[in-house]
Amino acid sequence: MSELLQQLGIDWRLLLSQAVNFGLLLAILSFFLYKPLLQLMKEREKRIKEGLTKAEEADAHLKDAQTLKVQKLKEAEAEALTVLRQAEARAKTHEAKLLEAAKQKEAEALAQAKRLAEAEREETRRETRREAAALVKEALIKTVELNPKAVDEALIAKAVTHIYEGTRSYENTKK
Amino acid sequence: METGIHISIKAEELFHIGGFPVTNGVLLSFLILLLLGGGALLLRRKLALIPGMLQNLAEWVLEGILSIMDGILGSRYQSERYLPLIATLFLIVLFSNWFGLLPGVGSIVFHGEETSPLFRAPSSDLNFTLALALITVITVNILGVVAIGAGSHIKKFLNFRSPLAFFTGILEFISECARIISFSFRLFGNIFAGEVLLTVVSFLLPYVVPVPFFFLEVFVGFIQAFIFAMLALVFTGMAVQEHQHS
Repeated sequence: MSELLQQLGIDWRLLLSQAVNFGLLLAILSFFLYKPLLQLMKEREKRIKEGLTKAEEADAHLKDAQTLKVQKLKEAEAEALTVLRQAEARAKTHEAKLLEAAKQKEAEALAQAKRLAEAEREETRRETRREAAALVKEALIKTVELNPKAVDEALIAKAVTHIYEGTRSYENTKK
Repeated sequence: METGIHISIKAEELFHIGGFPVTNGVLLSFLILLLLGGGALLLRRKLALIPGMLQNLAEWVLEGILSIMDGILGSRYQSERYLPLIATLFLIVLFSNWFGLLPGVGSIVFHGEETSPLFRAPSSDLNFTLALALITVITVNILGVVAIGAGSHIKKFLNFRSPLAFFTGILEFISECARIISFSFRLFGNIFAGEVLLTVVSFLLPYVVPVPFFFLEVFVGFIQAFIFAMLALVFTGMAVQEHQHS
């Protein structure tokens, strides 16, 4: 047996050297290669998974935001529309009020103008009467100067009345 | 210049350190340790979440080994637990096989007490393969004890419940011992034979003709490393599971 082992070159010291060699390599590779590398690979896998979930979440958030945006836009539009309508309604009432006031003012102005015109006409008439009286008086004085005894106040009055009525009817026809 | 073919079934002793002999096989396996260990240390410093080229390669190899282990052990947790043993076995055997094919290994000679090659593929040295086989078988049994408890593990070999169970237990024990032999001699035989083949072919027809044989040996080197790791993996898988009661 030992001769066979010797023939094959087996030596316990060589066996031990090779075994130690293997043990050393096993230890070195375990601590400096397998462990950190496996950890790293797991870490990478975790990160990639995280990244994927995050991307999904972000997509969901984006969708939410978009729906929210659309909703808000709609709301804002509706609000704007109501505001516009209210403003329009208010403007309309305001306009009506203004119109009313303007009409009233116009009517007042018209009435005032009428009154003024009436007063003026009255004045004119009075003036005319006075002038006519003066004229007739002068005429009568002239007549009386020609014939002083034939002065008759009643006649003058009658004549004045007659003239007055004449001018009145004249104006009525003119109107 | 030496004439004739130099073939030695033993690894030749180069010198002693203390009481320990250093053979050309041990020397090269030490170089492999330096290379792989140094590579690991170098990579450790450059590890990043965004991998570089070297890290990509390492991740690809580990991922491949892990996915094969998943198929046999059943879960990623188990695979990661036993990854160091299996992956280190695969790497050291692979590099031992391939380093024997490098130019200079076998052709550079060392003039010590007697003239011998300076380097020799570790896996063409029975000491290396036997050491790995012993480590594998012992570790697998330890892993079995850790995983399912000493009692149930020993029951696989020593079972008095029935004569049949007792007999299969003994068979189990014998096969465990046979594994050491088969592990070590399969690897040693394949790689040593490959080296002899290359030496002979290169001696007879030195140009062009050896090239296909080199390709063949590269392939054999990978296959043998794969088989070694695969068997260790299967035995581990069997050891860490409860024995199925039929």
